[in-house]
Amino acid sequence: MSADKKMSRRDLLKLAGVGSAGLVMSGLPVTVVAQDAVTIKVQAHGLDDNQLLPIADLLVAKHPHVSVDWVVLTGIDHEEVAAKILALVAAGESIDVGYAATEATQLFAGQGLAAPLDDRITGDADQDFWTDYFADVHPSLVEAMMYEGSLYEPPRDFNAANMYFNTNTLAENGFDVPGPDWTKDDFVEIARGITKKDDSGNTDVFGYAWINRLWGSWMPWIFVAGGNLYTEERAPGGNWCWDGYYEGDPAVEGRGGGFRWRTPIANSDEVVEALQLVVDLWQEGVTPDIEMGSGATLTGFYATGKLGMTPAGGFWAGRLKNEGMEKGDFDVQLWPAWRNQKHQFGTGGHWLAKGAKAPEEGWEFMKIEVSREGFEASPFFYPVIITTSARRSYSQAANYESTGPANYEVFYDTLDKHPSTSPIPAPPWANPMTTIFTTGTSNAMSGAMSPQDALDQMQSELEALTARQPQYYADN
Amino acid sequence: MTTAKGAADSRGGFLHWLLQDTMDGLRRRRAILGYLFLLPTLLGIFVFTAGPVFVSFGLSLFRWNIFRPPDYIELANYERLIGDVRIAISFGNTLKFTVLAVATQVSIGLILALAVHRISNTAMRYYFRTTFFLPLLMSGAAVAVVMGYIFHKEFGPLNYYLGLMGVQQIPWKTSADWVMVTIVITSAWRNLGFTFILFIGGLSNISQEVLDAADVDGAQGFRRLWSVTIPLLSPQILFATVTGVIGAIQVFEEPFIMTRGGPGNASRTAVMVMYEHAFKDIEYGYGSAIAVVLFLVIMAFTATQMWMSRRWVFYQ
Repeated sequence: MSADKKMSRRDLLKLAGVGSAGLVMSGLPVTVVAQDAVTIKVQAHGLDDNQLLPIADLLVAKHPHVSVDWVVLTGIDHEEVAAKILALVAAGESIDVGYAATEATQLFAGQGLAAPLDDRITGDADQDFWTDYFADVHPSLVEAMMYEGSLYEPPRDFNAANMYFNTNTLAENGFDVPGPDWTKDDFVEIARGITKKDDSGNTDVFGYAWINRLWGSWMPWIFVAGGNLYTEERAPGGNWCWDGYYEGDPAVEGRGGGFRWRTPIANSDEVVEALQLVVDLWQEGVTPDIEMGSGATLTGFYATGKLGMTPAGGFWAGRLKNEGMEKGDFDVQLWPAWRNQKHQFGTGGHWLAKGAKAPEEGWEFMKIEVSREGFEASPFFYPVIITTSARRSYSQAANYESTGPANYEVFYDTLDKHPSTSPIPAPPWANPMTTIFTTGTSNAMSGAMSPQDALDQMQSELEALTARQPQYYADN
Repeated sequence: MTTAKGAADSRGGFLHWLLQDTMDGLRRRRAILGYLFLLPTLLGIFVFTAGPVFVSFGLSLFRWNIFRPPDYIELANYERLIGDVRIAISFGNTLKFTVLAVATQVSIGLILALAVHRISNTAMRYYFRTTFFLPLLMSGAAVAVVMGYIFHKEFGPLNYYLGLMGVQQIPWKTSADWVMVTIVITSAWRNLGFTFILFIGGLSNISQEVLDAADVDGAQGFRRLWSVTIPLLSPQILFATVTGVIGAIQVFEEPFIMTRGGPGNASRTAVMVMYEHAFKDIEYGYGSAIAVVLFLVIMAFTATQMWMSRRWVFYQ
């Protein structure tokens, strides 16, 4: 309508009609059609110390119709938690969003319990969100969360096996924290140098200790010796991610659609040599008897000055802080080089259940968790570091301000500066594989078998186990 | 074909039969009322006890991981079980544990009961009864966690005090030679209260006249214990042994929490292997086959014990 046009009587009547209708409606009570309330079931580690609460708060603030029910599952290690999820599902319980580390990622994906996320990510209207996220996350973490070409979990955290030092113990024995290019021989020298025994030959201060489990344990020695439990292959696929979000990044060179571990090589010379190294240290009294568990005993050893070195990731910093160790009492370095300096890591994130009752809301929870907003709110990464952030931006000096270690850059450098770094072997049958691995390990570490015999037995058990598996990998 | 009239007649016949105003009718009504009261329990047993047992038998003939359809494989799970070295070791460990644990629980429970029974001070008797019985009320998991720390080789208090006496550190949980002893001590410590209280009850029921008669006949001390007291306690000993064996064959908490079956397979038990296969490895068929074999083993042990009891159990 032009400004100079005169209003006709018809226009006046129209306006009067609309105005009257508006006046009538303004006097009526306002009726808002509320969205149906939705509850999502999210796996959590505990209720009292639930670090996911801030994420749930962010979700509810954005979507007031959503509430979160926590499915609390605990275990001493990832495979035990995975077993509980499976038992839960077997019992007919449902879960919308679960958490898995590398140990169980292919297990849930291979069983069809977790849903692939490729279409959700590529079809998301907010592509800036994903461009920002992937630019901040090293592609090796993303690849470790892939199975047969699809991504099942956007990584939230990771832990590379690095070496922690009790700096006071080192200093008392005239050692400094070594540089990143230290070797296996340097390690042995330090371990022996800081070990202290009493008059009866019992060890008072151990040079080196570890937990019998899949991640950490003696697995880093297998990697740097040039071995592995299984051959490491790559599934085809994943280009939607590498081409779409990592274009031009040299770190994606040679990456595929996730790992395939299918031929056991547990008794290769390299693996035998690695086991022999840790068995020798145990027989010398440099290492205590090895047990399974959560590592609580080791933390105690460490905090009371009874232990000099142990394999751990960023999560150890928070634990040591909670045990009373001050910033500066401990530090960290890359795993020492042997035949190579190939590092290992495990990563973790949330997965969306294929049969989720509220998949959209569950996916929204997952997105918020890996957003910058989510990382800033998450108690996992500040003020006391509980685990290493998968986003580079949240593995910075500020995140380690209260805990240390001084060498915190080592955590992300393990990924950024070492292209050969790869995940621990964790095929869809990782649970029974882990039982075989820990059993064989303790056979050798208790003196019941020689390293060669223990690994020969491990190899034959892994071969039998692998032969029993269904066709998990597409080209089998 | 039953006609509508015929059906009505038969219903009427049943009601008439039930409601007859005779002694037989009254007995029938009482019997039916009794069965009605039994019905919830019978249903519970069928749904929660017998049902799962039958389902386990059925499942053991399938390969099933809950995510894929079950695959009928006849007796393949049992064939695999026969050749499975870990199964053989775990059943052997279970047998070793059962013999050691039951013998320890019964013998020490009996010794403690005899000692406490002789205490004349009532307050002290109650004190000891409560003390010995208390561990039984504790959570098995909690006991295993605490015992795990106590038996720690380097930092456990047990080795610390043994060290003060000049004993070298004992690898309680990390040596294949020691680990079963550790599990037995832990289990026996917790379960001792049951056999103890059972024997205390049995000793209280032995007639003083019989004991006095034995005295008169010259049976005192060990002779009276061996020839009079123990035979009179034999029903309690049988009960303690049968329930002890059934419980011991199913041992899980202590080895699972304290050692995870290690070192190697040295403390891996039959129920642990069953749990690992069914719930960790999601092989429900194979786990069920192990459960079936375990069920048969327990049944065989119990039947043998009951059969042998005819030779040594004396009922007053």
